[in-house]
Amino acid sequence: MPSDRVVERRRVFKQYKEDVKERGKPFFPYAMFHDTVMSFVVVLVIIGLAVIWKYTTPGDHQTTQAGWLGKLLDAPADPGTINFVPRPDWYFYFLFYLLRIFKWPETVILGTIGIPTICLVLLLAMPFIDVRGERRLSRRPVAIVAAVLVIASMGILTYKGATAKEALGTELLADVPHWAVSEHFQNNPEALAGARLFAVAGCLNCHTYNGVGGGFAGAPDLTAEGAKNKGLAFQISHLTCPSCVNPGSPMPSFAGLGPARLRTLAAFLEASRGGK
Amino acid sequence: MATRKLTRSEQLQQTILYPVDWLEERSGLVGGIKYFLFRKVPGDINWFQTLGSATLTAFLVQALTGAILAMYYKPDPQNAYSSIQHITNDIFAGWLVRGMHRWGASVFIILMFLHMGRVFLFGAYKYPRELNWIIGVLLLVMGLGEGFTGYLLPWDQTSYWATVVGININGTAPFLGPFIAQFLQGGTYINPDTLSRFYAIHMLMIPGAIFALIGLHLYLVVRLGVTSPPWSKEAAGTGPLKQPSANGDRSGLMRFAPRRGRS
Repeated sequence: MPSDRVVERRRVFKQYKEDVKERGKPFFPYAMFHDTVMSFVVVLVIIGLAVIWKYTTPGDHQTTQAGWLGKLLDAPADPGTINFVPRPDWYFYFLFYLLRIFKWPETVILGTIGIPTICLVLLLAMPFIDVRGERRLSRRPVAIVAAVLVIASMGILTYKGATAKEALGTELLADVPHWAVSEHFQNNPEALAGARLFAVAGCLNCHTYNGVGGGFAGAPDLTAEGAKNKGLAFQISHLTCPSCVNPGSPMPSFAGLGPARLRTLAAFLEASRGGK
Repeated sequence: MATRKLTRSEQLQQTILYPVDWLEERSGLVGGIKYFLFRKVPGDINWFQTLGSATLTAFLVQALTGAILAMYYKPDPQNAYSSIQHITNDIFAGWLVRGMHRWGASVFIILMFLHMGRVFLFGAYKYPRELNWIIGVLLLVMGLGEGFTGYLLPWDQTSYWATVVGININGTAPFLGPFIAQFLQGGTYINPDTLSRFYAIHMLMIPGAIFALIGLHLYLVVRLGVTSPPWSKEAAGTGPLKQPSANGDRSGLMRFAPRRGRS
């Protein structure tokens, strides 16, 4: 015996079919006209964006400089690079910024997997959570509040992701002498070289050090890394393959820097003892 | 049956319609198209309800421009970057096709979200359209997957490092994470095979799935009909109930069957 709700929604849908049959209008040409106009607008907008992208690029419109819509192409990928800024396409900024909110190692899983998975499951389950037949917005206060919250939070996260300041190697390089003083490694040339490499190699996009840096994806603060006394060999093998030493680590491999530079980086990390 | 001589215009008409009749007799496609075009939709639908077909258009732009880009793009780390440069700077209108693909992706994703917002606000995911909502959410996930895999293909600094971090973040997921990361990379690390793997996922696997899901999505739209705006005074489904039919509640759902246009 179907429940009252099931009987009622079947009745409403049957009524819908009858109403459409009686009072509806054929898809062609009425609805199709609107669809066609809208499709033209979509294609024109896409062409417009492509034209703006190219023709606002400075110079002969072929350089790697940024126009209004950003660069046509960045420098070629270089796995052995010493300066990179990992930035997703704009529509992933909300996820990207979530990782800056959950920056502590124990909570980062919430930002990377937890919240996105919960949101996706909720989205899939929505027709089974909201089972009432009511469609009028004035009688769906919970749905309205949920919609406003989702739109606002995604908007804010996207905006914050778009305006998040990147740690620029050239600016950070100026901090190296201060680090050397506060961490007492000014007389250690290997650590100094490592510090300069640390400043420009993009480490601070995720890690923090002496109050600067990204705090992204759960990367720990490295100000007192040396105080943990893990040793040069550990640091080098960790930099070469972070997830081999530390399973589940999202840190990319820096093996591309080469053994000599990795050694200076390790020396710098070991010399960083939080000023003690 | 008819033995009288056909007039010239009737003869002409028959000649023109012959291929149509031939096709209909063997496939029923003509009747199907007729059903699709002349099916009734509620009289009060509005511009917001064009967002779905707008999304479809954006996807078709992606499919077309993507196919053209695939003719010139070389998915290996030595040549990928220079092939993109070649497309952007040398090939006739290459910059336009690439620009349309690059920005069409953004438009596609924006339209998917807007379309989903419209369906949510209209309460159009409710009975009997639950399944179509789920297919829509899967399409959204696939669309974002296209965005993720396509981002690596230019093989420049931004795309490379964003993908490295993106894959590593995937890898932190419990249970499945490491397997997903390994599957995406084709190994424990990002390596030369990763690019061709992303290319195959980006232009074969996911688009195939998207085409199939769009087919299902549209089938359900046609089968179940388009909802009236909920605030409409004459919204379909609110009219006074007429005499219930003899075979009860199922008739509303079972009535659908493509009417043969000419039989």
